[in-house]
Order: sequence, then structure tokens, then C-alpha cells
Amino acid sequence: MSETLTATIGWSERPDAAQAGAEAAQQARDQLSCVTPQLAIVFGSSWFRQTALLQGVRSVLGDVPLVGESTAGEITTQGPSSHSCVVVLLGASAPWCSTGMDAEIDRAPREAGQQAAYAAVRGFQARQRAGFLLFGDGLVTSYAEVVRGIQETLGTSALIVGGMAGDDLRFTKTYQYCDGRVLSRAVVGVLVGGPVKLGVGIEHGFLPISKPRRITRASANRLLELDHQPAASVYEEYFGPELVARMRREGLTRQAIAYPLGIQRDASTQWLLRNVISFEGDGSLACSGEIFEDAWLQLMIGSRELALEAASKAAQQAVRPLNHVACVLIFDSAVRRTLLGSRCAALEIARIREAVGPSVPLAGCYTYGEQAPLGHESAYERTAIQTGSVLVVALGT
Amino acid sequence: MGVYGNYIVLFIAILLAWVATLGTEFSVQAIGLAVGLLGSIAYLAVKAEAARRHLAELQRLRDAYTQLDQQAKHIIRTDVELHHTQEELDRRLASLMSLHVLGRQLQVSLRPEEVFSKLDAAVVTNFGFSKGLLGMSRSLDTLEWGSLVGITRPEAEELTSHLQRSGLLKQLLSHPGPTIVKPSSATDPAHQTLLKLLGVSFAVMTGVIPHTGPVGCLLLGRMDSGGINIKADEELVSILTNQIATSIENSALYEQSWTTQQALERKVQDRTRELAEVNAVLVRLNKSKSDFVSAVSHELRTPLAAIKGYASLLGSGQFGGLADPQVERIRKIEKHADLLTQFINNLLDIARIESGRITMEHASIPVEEFLTSIHDVIHPQLDAKHLQYVVDRDGVKELLGDTQHLQRVFVNLLSNAIKYTPEGGSIRFGLKREGNTLLATVTDTGCGIPKEDLPKLFQEFYRANDPINQQVRGTGLGLALVKRIIEAHHGQIAVDSEKGKGSTFTVTLPTT
Repeated sequence: MSETLTATIGWSERPDAAQAGAEAAQQARDQLSCVTPQLAIVFGSSWFRQTALLQGVRSVLGDVPLVGESTAGEITTQGPSSHSCVVVLLGASAPWCSTGMDAEIDRAPREAGQQAAYAAVRGFQARQRAGFLLFGDGLVTSYAEVVRGIQETLGTSALIVGGMAGDDLRFTKTYQYCDGRVLSRAVVGVLVGGPVKLGVGIEHGFLPISKPRRITRASANRLLELDHQPAASVYEEYFGPELVARMRREGLTRQAIAYPLGIQRDASTQWLLRNVISFEGDGSLACSGEIFEDAWLQLMIGSRELALEAASKAAQQAVRPLNHVACVLIFDSAVRRTLLGSRCAALEIARIREAVGPSVPLAGCYTYGEQAPLGHESAYERTAIQTGSVLVVALGT
Repeated sequence: MGVYGNYIVLFIAILLAWVATLGTEFSVQAIGLAVGLLGSIAYLAVKAEAARRHLAELQRLRDAYTQLDQQAKHIIRTDVELHHTQEELDRRLASLMSLHVLGRQLQVSLRPEEVFSKLDAAVVTNFGFSKGLLGMSRSLDTLEWGSLVGITRPEAEELTSHLQRSGLLKQLLSHPGPTIVKPSSATDPAHQTLLKLLGVSFAVMTGVIPHTGPVGCLLLGRMDSGGINIKADEELVSILTNQIATSIENSALYEQSWTTQQALERKVQDRTRELAEVNAVLVRLNKSKSDFVSAVSHELRTPLAAIKGYASLLGSGQFGGLADPQVERIRKIEKHADLLTQFINNLLDIARIESGRITMEHASIPVEEFLTSIHDVIHPQLDAKHLQYVVDRDGVKELLGDTQHLQRVFVNLLSNAIKYTPEGGSIRFGLKREGNTLLATVTDTGCGIPKEDLPKLFQEFYRANDPINQQVRGTGLGLALVKRIIEAHHGQIAVDSEKGKGSTFTVTLPTT
């Protein structure tokens, strides 16, 4: 095929934001010879001054369309890293993508999704669409609505995948990048298609541990009652008053994110994982994604072995539908990095590398949420935000 | 069927007894009805029992499920603890790794200011904090931040003002060891303001105090403090602060030594320049001296030749016969004129060699001929003092250089040896090849040279304070000239002597 997709990766650990951005971009640019860069995907540590970081990247890449986000850690072919900048540069002889964004999520999430998708579609013209790569804010809980908005523009059969930006487990502010802009509480996306195809694999490896409880009352991302009891009191039964008191005081804690809530709408569907973000005054729990009434809920627990196995499975799923894999993007939950520890987190990336092939460039980040369809290709309309999962997105032909 | 079954059988028996009292025909129908009823009742009873058993099983399962859920709660709480411990261990490990990496970075910090700029986001996060400030204090009232992590410059400046106003800075710089600040213990309003300005709920602050006195302070902060081992925080921060303090001491020492070295180097350069200038002056003066000596010698040689010529004429009797005393005086005039001529010639040669006006030939000299011609010159002196003369040439067949000048060298050395060796003594002239050099030695069994005279021996006009020298006339130019000729051949001359045991002069000449 004449329109081969080529991907290169640059990485920098320089402490100065502008220098790190420029160095990572330069590394990626130097490797991408004889092909026009069509898209840059940037994963930057939240410790950097974000504007300076992006200026550094664009000082090298100029006006190449750019998307990306701040992270809870970066991923390269060599493994996990922190306080660094990763630039994925994708090149092809003809355009195959178009970016879009909207920063009005808090006011009208659904419209924000529509607008971002519409902006991307407008620039994409009439080429065949492969999917929409989404970069969102990991501290905003209304992405179910945003995704509905995107689906309203792109159609419910459109593949929507991506990761929610992180801020190195500080849980204060995350950033999304679109071309030259640094945004917060926004939706940024890139519509890809033409000759380019996407392969997706998402797994978590968590197992239910508590007895199933019926969600008897829920509203948007708030879990109000379980088995007709206030959700907070049920949660406290499992974690004890001390940890819950801490969570009430400090919001999302590292311990709590290691035990997500598993939601199952019926026995045949996959588990949807949610983190408890805060305890509300009325005894309800604010969660990291939409909660469905009448669904079953169980507390989940993970282990290193299952997490590693899940990573391998997700990578295998992602590369299966492609003939040629140009690069692999990993959106790995920050929960998993905490759960795995530094040694096993490196092992997880190694497992993915092993599954996709050692010559495939690999980059990504640790996220506060992973957006992907639940189940297989036939279930694209049932796309949802997960937490605690590893999402592998393969770009190729 | 249990108790219910007994009641049912009793009920049916009563019913049958009552039907029997009503007549046979009716009884048959009634019995059929009763049997049907009995069967239905029995079926219902069996079903009811099964349902009861299922309910009991369900209850048992529910109880077991609840028990499992209780166990799950214990498992989760234990897992939380384990997770917390694991996280704490990971944090400690990351902190120690960070300390190690930072230590290596600090080792190469050459200036104290550089040390204060080394705290970065990686160190702060690996220590389990989200904000970090490291500042330098030149006095107890001043603070200049070198590293800021998770905090902007204006926020840091506001914090500086607070630390200065509240006296916290002075307190930090005066007392070593970390101070923990958290909401529960922050009764001091200054501490509360500190947490507010830092935007955290937990902070550790400490002065950086090397042996030389306080030089700065370190502040670390994060949002959550619960569950994290504060004692471990204190220990790690203490280690970090000590490491910084040590690095500052080292860098200060390095800076001091660097400054001293620079000053020394500057002094050496100054002295070298001064010496070069003085040397240039000396070279100039030496040239002037040589020119002067050369000019004077030339000027002296002409009248000296006239004196010698006329003395010779007078001595020959061309101007009439002379009385013996007159002849004797004229001979003395001639003798002294010869000495003076030799002296002037030596002076002239030295001046010429110094000024480079004499070029040494680089010819191959057959040793046999060379030794013979030397022997011809010194032979009368050797005989006059009955000295033993031994030549050891060790297979050397030729030497390289200017024949005339090298002859002059060895005639001079051998003449000196003869001069200072008492009658019956011996003189040895040795030649030996060592690699690319030729060693020529002149050894005598003479009176030797005092140790203190050895360094000055080759200086012009120097004559050792020796009884023989007082008897034997000399110009003090011989050895000076020898040295210059040898050096003009790119060779060297050295002397080894012991008073009363003789001397050895060693000449080294290149053979290529």
C-alpha cells in the first residue's frame, strides 16, 4: 500500500518543560524521515508548565495537528516513566485525521461532545472513518454525556476510545492539549480514518469480592442506595470507619482507587469499573462514571498476576484485526500502576510489548479513566468509561 | 409427613367412620371421594415439605453468603493494610533511590547555589510529597528559593514574606531537625498560615545547617497525612537535609580551593611573565656583554699582537745586542702576551658560541686519529710529571662532531687533570657507547675538588680556592668554554669529585 502509516516516538526527561517538549519532539521528528507528519500525540507530566511544554513541542513540529493530555505517568517502549514528555509522531503521504475540541463540558457536556466531534468531522471531509481518539479530563464525571454527544454526531456505531488525563495522583487539575492550546475540563479528540485502521483491546483483571448488591437508587454518576440502604454506609461496612473518614476528609485516596466498584447490568455483560471520588452529605457516593439503576454492584479486588494477564489479553485483542501495526497507544489506569508497583508496572509494559511485537513503537500514559467499547466490535454503542483497566489501541492498516 | 400426616390420617379415619353410619351405597361413593382427597392432600403435603426444605437451604446459603461477605470485609481491610504497607515500602524505596540519585548529582555540584537548584519534581514525588521548596539564606533574615516544585514563584515569594514576618525562618535556621506541621497540631497561627500558603494539609520544614552555620531551608508538603508514617518522613527529610548540607560544605570547600587555585595560577602566571621579562632583559644584557667582550677582545688583540711582535723583534737582537736581564724581561713580555692572547681567544670563542656565530661541524671523527692528536699535545706534560696515562675506548671507533673543538675540550680536560694530579699519579681517558650516546670520561687521581666548588665549576672566571690554583696560573675560562662547546654539540658535561681522591669529568655526546 502506498499510504503506509509511519510512527516514531520521542521521549525526554529534562526538568525544563520547554526543553523537554522540544527534545521529545525533535527525537520523534528526526526518526520520521521522508514522510509528512500528520499528527502528534503528546503525553506530558502534570509537573511541567503545560504551556511551555506545548510551546517546546510546537517549536519543533510547527503546525502539525496535535492532541494529547497530562498524565499520571508516561509510557514508552522502555517502560513506565514519570516527570517526562512523550511525543508520538504519525506520518503518512496523505491526511488521515482531523482534530476537534470543546471546553464547555461543565456547562453542557452533551453539546461539548457534539461540538468536538463536529469540528473533527468538518476537517475530515468524506473519508472512511476508523474511530475517534478521545482525550478527556479525568477529574470530570460527566463524560458519559460527552460520549453520547459524540455518538450523536458520529453515529452510535463509531468507535470511541481514549484516556482521561491525570495529574500524577494529585487529583487537583488535569490538562488536555489540542494544537497550540492547553485546556482543562475539556474534550479533545481526533477522528482517524482513510487508510488507517484502529484495533482496540481493554481488560482489567479485577475480580469481585463482596456479595452482589442491587443498585436501588442512582443518578448520573452518583450512587445513592444499595439494597435500599445509603451507599456510603454499605461502603463503610467494607472499608471501616477510619479509611472512610479519611476519604470524606480528603476525597479520592490512593487506597480507595485500588478497590473499584464493579457494575454489571446483567450476568452476561462485562464489569464496568468505577472509582469512588467523594462522599456526599446525603450518604451517596460520587463515582468516576455513570451509575446505572437496577444494575448489580460488587466491590472488586485486584492482584498483580491477574493485572499482568489482562495486559497481555488487551494487547492481543488490539493487534488482531490489523495487517500492519504502525504503533500502539496504551492508556493504562493509574490504579494499576499503584497496584502493580514499579517493578510489575514495567513488567506489564513488557508483556504488552511481547504481545504486539518488539519492533512496534509503543507509547502512552497512566490515566484516570479509559474510554472504550465494552465487549467486542459489535458492541461499539455500549462504549463506556472504565477505571482500573488497560486500554491498548493499535494504529495501522 | 410428620405431625401433619398424623392429623390427616386421623381426619380421614373420622370421616370414614361417619360415612359408614350413612349407608353402603353412599359409603362407596364417599370412600372414593375420600381416597381422592387423601391423595391430593398427600401430594400437597409432600410439596409443602419440599418447599420448606428449599427455604431452609436458601436460608443456609444466604447465611453462608453473608458469612463470606463478612470474610470479604476482613480480607478487604487486611488488603488495605497490606496495600498501605506496600505503598509505604515502595515510597521508602523510591525515596532511598532518589536520595542515591540526588547524592550523585549533588557530588558534582561545584557551587553552593547549584546545590540549592537540585531539588526536582522526581525527588519530591518519590519522597511522597506534592510540593517542595529549597532555599538559600545568606543571613537569618534572608531567603532565596533555588528550587520550586508544585508552587509558583509569586506563591513562593508570599511564603518567604510569611516565614520572615512570623519568625519561622529564624526558628528554622537556628534549630536543626525537621518540624512537622499538620492541621491537628498547628495551633500556632504561623503554622496554619504556612499550610494555607503552601496549599497543603501536611508539611515538613527544616533548616539546612552544615558545620559552618545555617545556609538555607527545605519545605515539603502534601495534601494527605493520614496513614503515612510521619516518623519515616522525618528520617528521610533529615537524611536529605544532611546530604544537602554536606554537599554545600563540599561545594564551598571546592569553591574555596578553586578560588585559591585560581589565585595561585594567576600568581604563577604573573611570576612567569615577570621572569620572562627579566630573562629577556638578561638575554639582551648577555648579548650586550658578549658583543662588548667580543669588541674589546678584538680591540685588545691588535695592540697585543704589536706588543708581542715588537718584543719578539727586540728579543731577536735585530736592534742591537741585549744584556741577559733585558732578554729575560723580553721573554716574560712574550710569555704574558701569549697568555693574554689565549685568554682573549677563549673569551672570543665563548662569546661566539653564545651568540651562535660559531657553527659546530657534524662530522664523523675517527677515534684513533683523534686520540693520537690529543696525546701529541699532552704528551710533554704527562712526561714532565711522570703520570700514567690510560686510554680505554671500549671498541668505540668514531665519534660525531667538530674535530677541532672536541680536541680542545678533551685537551683542556686532560690538561686540567695533569695539572691537579701529583707526580706518579694516573689519568684515565675512557670512551663508551650507551645507546645513542657516547660517554667520554677523564678520571684522575688528583687532589679532587671541594664539594662546595662543584656547582660553580663551569662558571666563567671561577677558580676553586685551592693551593694548587694559587700556584698554577689560569684564566678561569677553560671549563666554561668546554661546557659551551659540549652544549653546542647537544651534549652534557658533569663532574664527580671527592677531595683528596681525584675527579671524574663525564662528557655525553649524541652519536646520531
